[in-house]
Amino acid sequence: MPGAVSRSLRSPRVLVALGLILCIACCAAFAPLIAPHDPADQNLLSILLPPAWASGGDPAFPLGTDSLGRCVLSRLIYGARTAMTVAVFASLGAMLIGSFLALISGYFGGAIDWIIGRAVDVWMSFPPVILSLILMFGLGTGLDKVVLAIILVDWTRFCRVLRSEVMIVTRRDYVAAARLLGFTHRQTLIREVLPATVPLLITLVSLEMAIAVVVEAILSFVGLGVRSDQAAWGQMIADARQYVYQSPSNLLLPILAIFVAVAAFNLLGDGLRRTLDVRLAEIGR
Amino acid sequence: MTSTSTTSTPVATAPKSVLRARDLAVTASLDDAIVPVIRALSFDLAPGKILGLVGESGAGKSMIGRAIAQLLPPGFAITGGSLAFEGQDFLAMAPGRRRALLGRAIAFIPQAPLTALNPVMTIGRQFDEHLARIGGFDRAQRRTSAIAMLAAAQLPDAAALLDRYPHQLSGGMCQRVLIAMAFASNPRLVVADEPTTALDVTMHPQIIRLIADMQKDHGTAVIFITHDLRLAAQVCDEIIVMYAGRAIERGPARRVLSTPAHPYTRCLHLANPSMTERRSLYVIPDQMPGLRQLQQMSGCHFAPRCPVVAEHCRRTEPPNVTVAPDHVVACVRAEATPQISMLHSVGLAPDLVERPLLQVENLLKRYDTDRQWFRSRAVAAVNNVSFSIGSNEFVALVGESGSGKSTIAKLLVGLEPPSGGRILLDGHDLTDASAQTRALRVQSIQMVFQDPQSALNPRRRVAGIITQAMEAGLRHATADERNARALALLSEVGLSPDFATRFPAQLSGGQRQRINIARALCSLPRLLVADEIVSGLDVSIQAQLLNLLARLRSELGFAMLFISHDLSVVRHLCSRVLVMYRGDIVEQGPVESVFADPQHPHTRALLAAVPPDEPGAWPLLKATTPNGVTNSN
Repeated sequence: MPGAVSRSLRSPRVLVALGLILCIACCAAFAPLIAPHDPADQNLLSILLPPAWASGGDPAFPLGTDSLGRCVLSRLIYGARTAMTVAVFASLGAMLIGSFLALISGYFGGAIDWIIGRAVDVWMSFPPVILSLILMFGLGTGLDKVVLAIILVDWTRFCRVLRSEVMIVTRRDYVAAARLLGFTHRQTLIREVLPATVPLLITLVSLEMAIAVVVEAILSFVGLGVRSDQAAWGQMIADARQYVYQSPSNLLLPILAIFVAVAAFNLLGDGLRRTLDVRLAEIGR
Repeated sequence: MTSTSTTSTPVATAPKSVLRARDLAVTASLDDAIVPVIRALSFDLAPGKILGLVGESGAGKSMIGRAIAQLLPPGFAITGGSLAFEGQDFLAMAPGRRRALLGRAIAFIPQAPLTALNPVMTIGRQFDEHLARIGGFDRAQRRTSAIAMLAAAQLPDAAALLDRYPHQLSGGMCQRVLIAMAFASNPRLVVADEPTTALDVTMHPQIIRLIADMQKDHGTAVIFITHDLRLAAQVCDEIIVMYAGRAIERGPARRVLSTPAHPYTRCLHLANPSMTERRSLYVIPDQMPGLRQLQQMSGCHFAPRCPVVAEHCRRTEPPNVTVAPDHVVACVRAEATPQISMLHSVGLAPDLVERPLLQVENLLKRYDTDRQWFRSRAVAAVNNVSFSIGSNEFVALVGESGSGKSTIAKLLVGLEPPSGGRILLDGHDLTDASAQTRALRVQSIQMVFQDPQSALNPRRRVAGIITQAMEAGLRHATADERNARALALLSEVGLSPDFATRFPAQLSGGQRQRINIARALCSLPRLLVADEIVSGLDVSIQAQLLNLLARLRSELGFAMLFISHDLSVVRHLCSRVLVMYRGDIVEQGPVESVFADPQHPHTRALLAAVPPDEPGAWPLLKATTPNGVTNSN
């Protein structure tokens, strides 16, 4: 698909979203360099400090401290690390499983399609948040467990959406032509069918990243996410909840961080969908 | 002027014309340039006459219908000239009054009948709505008159039809309903835009005859838009041939077909395969200029393709020249037109049938329908079919849609497994599913697909597409080998080497079909299965491809199963024909003898659907059944 990349880079949605995501990703990657404090350092003499510009603020803690005297800014930066890790690995993992099943299901059809389709039906009938909570309860806490839980819950999303796309592409005559020219099923799938689904895949992944950020926050909020010594936005919200009257900024800042990250991923997904999807490309951006 | 083909006394300068166009111009704005889509179109349509607008796609013929309907696409506008309906200026009319005329005094018969009807409303409700709009009867009267109109359109059991939904009707029946609706308001003008193109061939004569009968009964004037010159000559009183937005020839229908005055009309006629003689087809090089090319053109727009072009044709736009009474041509070289004959033609090689290459014995294919949990009903799409194809032989498979032609193609190439029977290639049974058989099949049988749009991967470049066979399996060709093969194939199918790096989206329909053929020929198969490969193409492009296939056979030597519904193409290209009807081969034999003396009624129906070459009478149009008996379906 020629020109798709340059076309999507001209879309304002994609540009804004990429800028925001780049900022968050930099925070995550260079957290030890940027953060003024260790996120786990407690300073019990200065707890619940307001941000530096408010009265009573301390310039050493630009966004104040939490109930244990930990630096909020540092925890936000390290929290970005948790959020980004989960977003990237969970969405890629869900994509791999979901799209693999979608490809064989949509391409071969018949009994394989029936079995995979019913499995997705059953899987999707569990409420996703409950399912991930149950999974976390069984798996135990930890970053890798969060990623695993999200993958296990959300592969169905990829499978469903991609399967119909694969079915449409498989009915094209050029796929039949490839078979007639001697392509094996594997060659046909990888060289003819898969490339046609890439635009949709990219879009789905970016939307899935937004979902992964939210789910990770929820799990951390209820204490079933990452280990308690790791900084996570959901955990920060849970901590700040009890002191919301003394220090509202402690609650609002991680919420803002989640909001920005999710908005950026959704914006990216929407922008890419409009530019990469040939059916929507004509409607305009 | 009015045609004098049916009335012997010349009509005096008729002030009373239903539709009169004077220097009508339609332009399109395209990337901030203004492109003329229709230039200086003038005609008079007298009451009760049929005017044919003929041209290939892109000629601008449909724009005229759309201009009358006020349905020009965005960016298109009428920018000059006048259009008068019964003496009133149609363009200056208040929108409300014009709308009041449309659907009542001016009715339309659409190209795609199934999409023109609302799928969620019964025929009765749609007819009722239409009648309520055109005139105030009460409900019961409307129902009676709807039934009467449907019966007049030769639809059996019209009362029961009112409660049916469009999808329960065949395409032909839908078109009859729409024709009945169009004539229900007793219009003075009916615009029919390719009314048969979306229908099965065997339906064509019946629909055409219905329009002609209705036209006679109601005394309606009709604008008949078609790409088929022969069809227009049979149906119409007067014909206008369009090329790149200009009416290049206008005259009495029979005269235009028998003695065409414009080189393009003659070329088009010679490019059409004949049903009576087997001659090679005249190939007009290149294709009609697109909108973007029109912008830069000066002089006669046909000059770049014209075989009798003179130097000044390229500089100045030719004036309209009257060559005979009522016969006007936009060409200064009209006297040279009769000289055009097979100047650049390719001789047809005779079939050299040596031995049978492919033998099909009792081939059977059943599909399960109405599948429920544990029961299903099997329907035979192909029912015990046997035939053979000799090496180097072109065999045609004809029949209406749904007769099982495409299923046979899929069975032969192995896209579907047969339910029974044998397919023997050189005595080797292809129906067993071993890897060896598959390899043999890949080497020896290839398919050219019907829809070149869907048959080419839009993400691959042309060179990659046509040499795709070289990346299959374990043997991988080097990039150099593939490039060399790609260039060789491109020159085989008559395309220049710079096509190698293009994407399918950058090609025209005819070019895509050449790429499609090149891909199938890459590994030099012995049998090509071609499924309706010229059916969507214009006559001049079709002639190019048919001649290409004939040349490629003499150069490369391969057999072909040519699936088509167009018997004139079959007559031209193939030596033997298989006629299929509802899953059975009902007749087979040499093309000449089958076409000269058809035995099966279906073969006769297919043959009757082809308008004859001579401007004489089409028997199906003449024989009017008085009591509305129809043999449809």
